Amino acid sequence: MVNCSICGRPAVYVNRISGKAYCKKHFLEYFDKKVRRTIRKYKMFGKKEHIIVAVSGGKDSLSLLHYLHHLAERVPGWKITALLIDEGIKGYREETIKDFKRVAEQLGVEYRIAGFKEYFGHTLDEIVLMGREKKLPYQPCSYCGVFRRYLLNRVARELGGTVLATAHNLDDIVQTYVMNIINNSWDKIIRLGPVSGVSSHPKFIRRVKPFYEILEKETTLYSILNNLYPKFVECPYAPFNIRWTIRRMINELEEKYPGTKYSLLRSLLSIIEYLKKIPELSKGEVKTCMICGEPSAHEICRACIYRIELGILKPPKEVIPILENLGVRIPSGTVDQTE
Amino acid sequence: MYNGVIGLPVRIRLVDGSREWVIEDASGLEAGEALRRVGLLSEEYIIVRNGEVITPNEKLRDGDEIVLYPVVSGG
Ligand SMILES: [Zn+2]
Ligand SMILES: [Zn+2]
Repeated sequence: MVNCSICGRPAVYVNRISGKAYCKKHFLEYFDKKVRRTIRKYKMFGKKEHIIVAVSGGKDSLSLLHYLHHLAERVPGWKITALLIDEGIKGYREETIKDFKRVAEQLGVEYRIAGFKEYFGHTLDEIVLMGREKKLPYQPCSYCGVFRRYLLNRVARELGGTVLATAHNLDDIVQTYVMNIINNSWDKIIRLGPVSGVSSHPKFIRRVKPFYEILEKETTLYSILNNLYPKFVECPYAPFNIRWTIRRMINELEEKYPGTKYSLLRSLLSIIEYLKKIPELSKGEVKTCMICGEPSAHEICRACIYRIELGILKPPKEVIPILENLGVRIPSGTVDQTE
Repeated sequence: MYNGVIGLPVRIRLVDGSREWVIEDASGLEAGEALRRVGLLSEEYIIVRNGEVITPNEKLRDGDEIVLYPVVSGG
């Protein structure tokens, strides 16, 4: 029998780096301390915040919602709203929305479900079909990622949010870090910090990752102990990619050498500081999309480019030269001729 | 001390019921070791025995019913 290092009751978790074991009660205390330390260390929240929690319906984001809701009960200046993006994926989203609503209603937290259909006129399923018909070179996850990020920022702002919290955990972060090293994508690595979007654009909502230093094993255990672990439904578009292999390799390393994940995270934090000193990587100033007015890396944002290429958005005449410059495929007959 | 039901194998299944394993002579084996025997990493699962979460160092008993909650699924 493994017993809690603090009270001697049966343990539910062992921190393999410190060797300490925790019972349910003391694990939850340990978890709470760790997340609060992360929030403080990276100055994620101020005294007065309207925190929008991005919820996918998976265990990590349900845990984040549960955690921040209870934390906010102790902070008078905080308000929490949950935001779920409904991409419109048949056979998948309906199930996760059920888990989301159950948790949000149990907690009594306000929530908003914003759909691709509502904002773009089409579900992801329809967009994927249109893209295939037009022979566009994008994977379902490319559309989904771009439109989701776009809506999270836009709807968070519309809800009056001051900060957007996402449930990325330590495992997600270090996997992405290793993937980007392999892809030589240092411009993406520089954006893997715990807080992003500070003072970059008036329409950009600051993003924070309160689980930045929390292992996925810990967020999972938190979800089980709080009865949040959802029925698992796999996204039909989930790609079997290099991330799976990297995840397995990092987990094997962690089993053999406990602490590997934290070492990788420290490595990432150091490299971000070095990269910030390189002008070509850090200068990328945020622009305003000429079509929709949202923050964007280019004159026209990626979400508008996709919509133009899919033929669901007519580009105004004056932006045509810019689109051509960016190499955008403009379907014939969709150019807006009205002055 | 409860030693389990002598002679019964240990059953391990994923929480969604998609996979199941039966391990004979598992009594005294650490849970993490049992996972490794069937090709799983204990880093990737939360182990629940008869409704209680246990650590990978916990020793199994004959007749244990183990449910595994995957750690590695989307956010
Ligand atoms: Zn304890
Ligand atoms: Zn735009």
